[in-house]
Amino acid sequence: MHVVLADYFPVLVFVVIAFGIAGAMLGGSLLAGQQKPYAEKLSAYECGFDAFDDARRRFDVRFYLVSILFIIFDLEVAFLFPWAVALGRIGLFGFLSMLAFLGVLTVGFIYEWRKGALDWE
Amino acid sequence: MNWTLALPEIVLSVSGLAILVFGVLQRRDPTQVCSLLTLAAFVLTGVLVLLAPDGIGYNSVFVGDDFARYMKILSLAGAALSLILSMDYNRREGIGRFEFPVLLLFSTVGTMVMASSENLMTLYIGLELQSLAIYILCAFDRDRLGSAEAGLKYFVLGSLASGLLLYGVSLVFGFAGTMEYRGLQAALSASAEIPTGLVIGIVFIIVGLAFKVSAVPFHMWTPDVYQGAPPPVTSFMAGAPKIAAFALLLRVMAGPFGTASHQWQLLIELISMASMLFGALAAIPQTSIKRLMAYSSIGHMGYALMGLAAATPAGMRGTLIYLAVYLFMNAGTFAVIVAMRRRGRPVERIADLAGLGRTDPGLALAMAIFMFSMIGVPPLSGFFGKLLVFSAALQAGLPVLVVVGIVSSVIGAYYYLRVVKVMYFDVATAAFDRPAASVSLVSAGMGLVTGLFILLLGPVSSAAQAAAAVLFR
Repeated sequence: MHVVLADYFPVLVFVVIAFGIAGAMLGGSLLAGQQKPYAEKLSAYECGFDAFDDARRRFDVRFYLVSILFIIFDLEVAFLFPWAVALGRIGLFGFLSMLAFLGVLTVGFIYEWRKGALDWE
Repeated sequence: MNWTLALPEIVLSVSGLAILVFGVLQRRDPTQVCSLLTLAAFVLTGVLVLLAPDGIGYNSVFVGDDFARYMKILSLAGAALSLILSMDYNRREGIGRFEFPVLLLFSTVGTMVMASSENLMTLYIGLELQSLAIYILCAFDRDRLGSAEAGLKYFVLGSLASGLLLYGVSLVFGFAGTMEYRGLQAALSASAEIPTGLVIGIVFIIVGLAFKVSAVPFHMWTPDVYQGAPPPVTSFMAGAPKIAAFALLLRVMAGPFGTASHQWQLLIELISMASMLFGALAAIPQTSIKRLMAYSSIGHMGYALMGLAAATPAGMRGTLIYLAVYLFMNAGTFAVIVAMRRRGRPVERIADLAGLGRTDPGLALAMAIFMFSMIGVPPLSGFFGKLLVFSAALQAGLPVLVVVGIVSSVIGAYYYLRVVKVMYFDVATAAFDRPAASVSLVSAGMGLVTGLFILLLGPVSSAAQAAAAVLFR
């Protein structure tokens, strides 16, 4: 049990340092900086939407498109990391499997590009 | 490792990707070319399926055997027939986009993976690939409310069914410790008593698959989706995916869960009875031919399940032959439905068929053959399908099931005969638009297959025999 806890000691050190730096930055600006608050500055940052609004309001379908495209390529990276770490053990078959997967994604990329899904206008 | 085991699937997938890239890079409308290329890919894959070796590969998740081959050939045939029907229909409806054949192709890849599954994960991946493509195909006529509704409805209910199936898979894995069919079979035959959790898992898997074959009580989506989706898509949905889902049901139930057959036999029996009766009774008040075919397909799935309920090699053979027979008469019927157009618009009421016997005798004859075959009148193909499943169920000691089957066949005869009556005895209305050559070809070809099935019975029967034998090795 103690051995397990000792393994986590670097994490504790990291947490303490992170809190220290974050506290120093926020506290420093609070103490030393000049405060000039106004409404826009105080409202939550929400990419062009009102922070408090009806959840069922309409918005552009292109937001969906962008987020779906983002998820696909984000997941690709999520698959690539474990693959890269395990590459030594999974052999040629594992290597080629990932190449096939990337090939399929590339075809999808060509398709969305040519269809104009990446153009905002 | 034996790479060539999955060569048909690999070739079909790669051609799908190639067709997609080719289509999107064209400046002019590439729909016709892409459809023809897809058709060629289907033919090539069919040849490769026949040449593919037997065995288990890819870390024992994928199997090639006579059963997989039989099912793959059927789903390729179903997909190719639907594609031929779609080429003309989509053009006339103004929804001819080259994505259609590509989606149909990927859905077919899914059905082939399902047929070759040797692991519950392969089963799931194949099922999802097949379903996802069909969700989009259902909503392909997206500016029509019915089509969009069909796509959404099928998506929501299909996801629910996938969830139930996955839950069953997780229970089976938890209680048996493996997802491989062979491992499951060994685990089940080794243990004296089957754990309750495993039985619940099997029931959930049956529920998920029964949804995909639209057996009662998991049929509620069928009429709305069949009516809303474009007819070529409906003809595909009633063919290849159902055959693949049946392939899974047969393979999973007869193989890994075969030793537990006394646990699920009654369940399949009840589903089969309910499907046959519901299909026969609920179709009576229908006025739309597409809804009629939806209820008819529910009933036919009940008959096909009868062979599985018997849980014998003869029963499995009966089911396999029934599926082949149903595929061809269903494709033919949908060819007639695609041909139902007046003044450039599709019509779908049964009353619209009035007088077809005089205005287009060839089409009416084909439709009459399909209707009589669906009743099970000898010497048409439907008779042999019914005969084989009925006799297998009788031999397995399920007389109640057979009696219910015969009663619902008699009830079903009413609405099939009503279509024939409307075509030949009602006062003729305006003739249909001249159908395209491809549509006439499918309806005539399937009419010949259905009418002269007695000539094909030998080869189909021996192929089904070999396929069923694999399940009981």
